[in-house]
Amino acid sequence: MKKVYLGVDIGSVSINLVAIDYNNEIIFKEYSRSNGQPLISTKKALLNLKDKLDGNYEICGVGTTGSGRQLIGMMLGADVVKNEITAHATATMNYVKDARTIFEIGGQDSKMIFLKDGFITDFAMNTVCAAGTGSFLDHQAERLGVPIEEFGDHARKANRNVRIAGRCTVFAESDMISKQQFGFSKEDIINGLCEALVRNYLSNLGRGKKLEPPYVFQGGVAANNGIKDAFERELGAKVFVPENFHVMGALGVAILAKEFIYETKRKTNFRGFETANIDFVPTTFECSGCSNVCEVIKVEVNKEVVAMWGDKCGKWTNSF
Amino acid sequence: MKMTFPHMGNPIIYKKLIELLGHEIVCPNKPTKKTIELGVKHSPEFACFPMKAIMGTYIESLERGADVIVTSGGHGPCRAGFYGEVHKKILNNMGYDVEFIVFDSIHKDFKGFMKNMMKLVKHSSLLKVYKSFRLVYKITKDIDYFEKIIQTKRAYEINKGECSKALQEIISLYDKVQDHKELEKIKKTSEYIVDNIPIKYVEEDHKIRIGIVGEIYVVMESSVNMKIEEVLASLGCEVRRSHYLSDWAEHNIVPKIFRHDREEEILKKGEPYIEVQIGGHAKETLGHIVDYKEKGLDGIIHLLPFGCLPELVSQSIIPRMSREIDMPILSIALDEQSGLSNNLTRIEAFVDIIKTKKKRKIVS
Repeated sequence: MKKVYLGVDIGSVSINLVAIDYNNEIIFKEYSRSNGQPLISTKKALLNLKDKLDGNYEICGVGTTGSGRQLIGMMLGADVVKNEITAHATATMNYVKDARTIFEIGGQDSKMIFLKDGFITDFAMNTVCAAGTGSFLDHQAERLGVPIEEFGDHARKANRNVRIAGRCTVFAESDMISKQQFGFSKEDIINGLCEALVRNYLSNLGRGKKLEPPYVFQGGVAANNGIKDAFERELGAKVFVPENFHVMGALGVAILAKEFIYETKRKTNFRGFETANIDFVPTTFECSGCSNVCEVIKVEVNKEVVAMWGDKCGKWTNSF
Repeated sequence: MKMTFPHMGNPIIYKKLIELLGHEIVCPNKPTKKTIELGVKHSPEFACFPMKAIMGTYIESLERGADVIVTSGGHGPCRAGFYGEVHKKILNNMGYDVEFIVFDSIHKDFKGFMKNMMKLVKHSSLLKVYKSFRLVYKITKDIDYFEKIIQTKRAYEINKGECSKALQEIISLYDKVQDHKELEKIKKTSEYIVDNIPIKYVEEDHKIRIGIVGEIYVVMESSVNMKIEEVLASLGCEVRRSHYLSDWAEHNIVPKIFRHDREEEILKKGEPYIEVQIGGHAKETLGHIVDYKEKGLDGIIHLLPFGCLPELVSQSIIPRMSREIDMPILSIALDEQSGLSNNLTRIEAFVDIIKTKKKRKIVS
């Protein structure tokens, strides 16, 4: 049986699952919307993977990343639970060896990662504002009645420059509406929006930092070539979108899991495909131990508590 | 008259002092979610976060019967200098009858400082005042000494949470001290406690040391900074922070001729980056970064309250500085929105960078 390593990136909007072989070649990949149901969507993806592997492969390592990494890591029995920044950079460095700057834009947050000689040297992450991320684009596409997949093509058809304020999504929207009232076409406005987002992203995350090519653009929003074009115009340089741009996080954490297993010579903690049939029941309760009144999350399997978190003092978390 | 004060770090030192001077006291509670909600509700929206958190603390203490608030002032463009007045106005409007005693720097306004001091020491003889101050100062020094040991050991503790528990125990021991004799005894007991925390062995090359710099309130008060010291320790990092109460007391209260002033030294180190004092701790922040680089620490976490003016200035200088002195620095802005998972991702990634950087150094 051939050995494969599993990586799962569970974000706010999507779940990505990747299985790689020893040479980091992708054997299976799945990108789907998590619809706010990480447990259910992970199970679904896991069953798809089982069908695909068809008993010919053995899973030798599992890694999770993304905002739901703890929960899904616990559920799968992950060997490595890593933050998105390290995971994304690991994947990029394996496929675009000399990359210096990574633009990563996802559903809820956006990141900029700086590399040198195959190491992360610095990073930036959006703070209080989600302007320019996937969710906002989704919303605008819906409002304009354009399928999000065609957003980029519409931007390319623009023939006039419209400047849209991009500092804050709410004001970007009202600015867009007022430009609509001035009679600009949908294409012009979509293009203006792409440019505004790029401007905002670069000034917000790149402030005070030196951006150096080669640039790599990944994450769900990289599917939108309107944004890619806007990046290239703003930077005056080519921006490279890797083939697996939308599953880079999962890919990265799969590589990290593989390296971890290889270095420590341990056996994987993977719970097996039966996980898809086990019921993980998360419940919450308010701890009344002190006036913090933390909302504690408790996960049970067969009435047995397997994990707890959310308490500030560590009273419950530390009991594991 | 029942006195109270803001909660920052360990309140036992101020508590001890006021108690020794013979006043009744309402010791403030550690800020909780409820405190912060209360503070945010009754503060101007664009005031900085410490002002709001302290507002909540005051209201809670007043509810518990306090009627005099003792606090420190500030200088320069940092708004903290006005907060005594603003707090007072808001509290009066809310219907609380409260007296404020605001201590500004003794070096800037000696007369005002002494006037405030007289209010505090009204009933005590000069000898008693001197003795009380000396005792409290020694307690502060001792607690800071043990805290530094804990901040080092916590990264390697075998039983999770044991170090924090030990520190709590030590603080409650010091809480009972009445004179110098007891102080010696308790210091010995505390030494014993910290020596007996089991730790795992880590090679010197693999140790990671991180300095925490920034605005004093968010650096010192663990309830508003996501318990950053414990988070870092759980990732295997030793921690040092730029503000300890004993340093602050030394700089602000002890007369110049009697002190070996670290603060002056730090300020000098920050001079090449900010020439003048712009209030708050901006210059200290940059000075500490240089200092930590010289001491061989591996990285810096810079904490600032959202909307803090002096720290915004230092934040804008930090990227250049980080390049010049080759030191990874991560700035985190804190306010009432916790955004915890977002910040944890940042901290984890930051520690990853330091680890690989270190590994690379060892290999080459």
